[in-house]
Amino acid sequence: MNEVCICQAAALTALGPDLESLWRGALAGESAIRPIERFETGRYLSGSAAWIEGLPETSRRSLLYPLLERLLDGFGPVPADATLIAASTKGCVDSMERYLRDGSSDLADLTVVTLLEWIGARLGLTDAGININAACASSTIAVGRAASLIASGRREVALVVCMDLVSEFVFSGFSALQALSAEHCRPFDRNRSGLSLGEGGAALLLMSRERASREERPVLGVVAGWGAANDATHITAPARDGCGLIQSVRQALSRAAIGPEKISAISAHGTATVYNDQMELTAFRTLFGERPLPMHSIKGAIGHTLGAAGGIEVALGLKCLEARRLPPTVGLLEPEEAAKGFVSRSAQPIVGRYLLSTNSGFGGVNAALILRREDG
Amino acid sequence: MDAYLSGIGWVTGAGFGWGSQGGDCTFPNVPLPLLTRKDVFPEPNQRFGRMSDYAKLGLAAIAFALRDAGLETWSTKRPIGVVASTRLGSLATDLEYHQTVLIQRGGLASPNLFAYTLANCFLGDAAIQFGLTGSSVAINETAEGGLGALRMALEDLAMGEADTMLAGICDLPVPSALSNIITLKPGAVFLVLTTKAPAAPASYGTVSLADNGRILHNCSPPGSLIELVQTALARRAAS
Repeated sequence: MNEVCICQAAALTALGPDLESLWRGALAGESAIRPIERFETGRYLSGSAAWIEGLPETSRRSLLYPLLERLLDGFGPVPADATLIAASTKGCVDSMERYLRDGSSDLADLTVVTLLEWIGARLGLTDAGININAACASSTIAVGRAASLIASGRREVALVVCMDLVSEFVFSGFSALQALSAEHCRPFDRNRSGLSLGEGGAALLLMSRERASREERPVLGVVAGWGAANDATHITAPARDGCGLIQSVRQALSRAAIGPEKISAISAHGTATVYNDQMELTAFRTLFGERPLPMHSIKGAIGHTLGAAGGIEVALGLKCLEARRLPPTVGLLEPEEAAKGFVSRSAQPIVGRYLLSTNSGFGGVNAALILRREDG
Repeated sequence: MDAYLSGIGWVTGAGFGWGSQGGDCTFPNVPLPLLTRKDVFPEPNQRFGRMSDYAKLGLAAIAFALRDAGLETWSTKRPIGVVASTRLGSLATDLEYHQTVLIQRGGLASPNLFAYTLANCFLGDAAIQFGLTGSSVAINETAEGGLGALRMALEDLAMGEADTMLAGICDLPVPSALSNIITLKPGAVFLVLTTKAPAAPASYGTVSLADNGRILHNCSPPGSLIELVQTALARRAAS
């Protein structure tokens, strides 16, 4: 198997235009969740989300295109032979809203294929690419897929691009499901009451070790393991025993050829819904026992960015491993009993080389990645 | 790597079926059948009536493929994965759901419809119905006619992620507003692929993934997933 390196990483979130601003904001415990100005929220459970300032709303095209322009500006050259794996749950959903409202949008935006073609042309890629839709684990699975292709030797280079918007479509849906928090979300808090939505994107360039060396690329970290599983329990709720997440993490550990004791920190999904967070804590206690293990959720800082969440969390995870620090869980006031010893309102040190990053989503989807710090 | 093709199921404008039942998998330009629970499941199924048309379509084709492979019934969950290729995904449900949002400015948004506004939603239903605990993803591909999903499933088999995978395509008809932008063959077809040699000779033959990513069905490259299915069914009929 080839070793899989991440050689470039970018993130655009409501905390700022790049990965550095996400890192600084997360470490400082900032939150970008604030009142929504994009649509009326009077009939919904919440009026806030973590939305990106200044995306131009004047054109007929989706806000996803300026979001991607910002994300990819300055990303650096991508080899033309990179396979493209995109990840988005709803793509240009704002174009569909506009089409139904006044017919003013570009109908081609209603298919994700248009988005793939745009990314490929923007970066000069020869591969037509695919988009992965696995709900809120879409980009986690995309990174795992990219890693698998490189590890097996089928590809040398893969580019993962993930993105999703804050839209009334999604906002109204989570509100109708009673899953939105009226306040800023509070992951792993005993009084958590639901999620806060966010928007953003990430781009990750993965290469085989040999190709990265040949091109003299910096190695930001290694994708050591990956796994994905369905809990086969419910369409919108997680399995209470965490069976799907446990299976995913065990696959990732097996692929990384390490035991659970090697995991030094966890970037959890941590949506702050009652059932998701409880499921994760159950799974992590099953996997890691009672030993203290630094864990955080970024959702209180940048909201739940849906299909982009896993990719953004990988980009942030690389920074965490580099700095050997895990940001605080923003919004946390009083940890859930089972979360004590895991989460903190302060940044936590990371002692070790392996970070576990997990996401779960509708349709019973669960996915796990294990990142390894490059040095040592 | 080689995989045995052990099951085929489909729903098209011509009707629905599975390989061992006989019949052809053709895609005439006529409306898809309105599937009822009894068409798909002999036993009562509380969820089926609440599913979107897109979810019913995909779930039915998966059910028929598993039936054809002798894998429909189960007692313990199984690590079988699914890759579904779709051009439009849940777009029809999205449009229907958003109409409920526009009524009373979101006050009557339908939570049940919202749950089906993801392209992968029917894979969750399939996982529950058939105890499938492998990775389940929907993909949008540009122009491979479903071969992208097949390639991903074969890659998973090659990497040892699973020893049985489903791969297929699922799309409802193109909404009229998009008819001059997209052309596709509405319907759903799923295949069961396994690395385990079947007890009886696999009359559909094998599907291979070459190192260069090329897919071969019985040593010949198919032009699309539909073409592969039609060739496999013809081979079975002739055997």
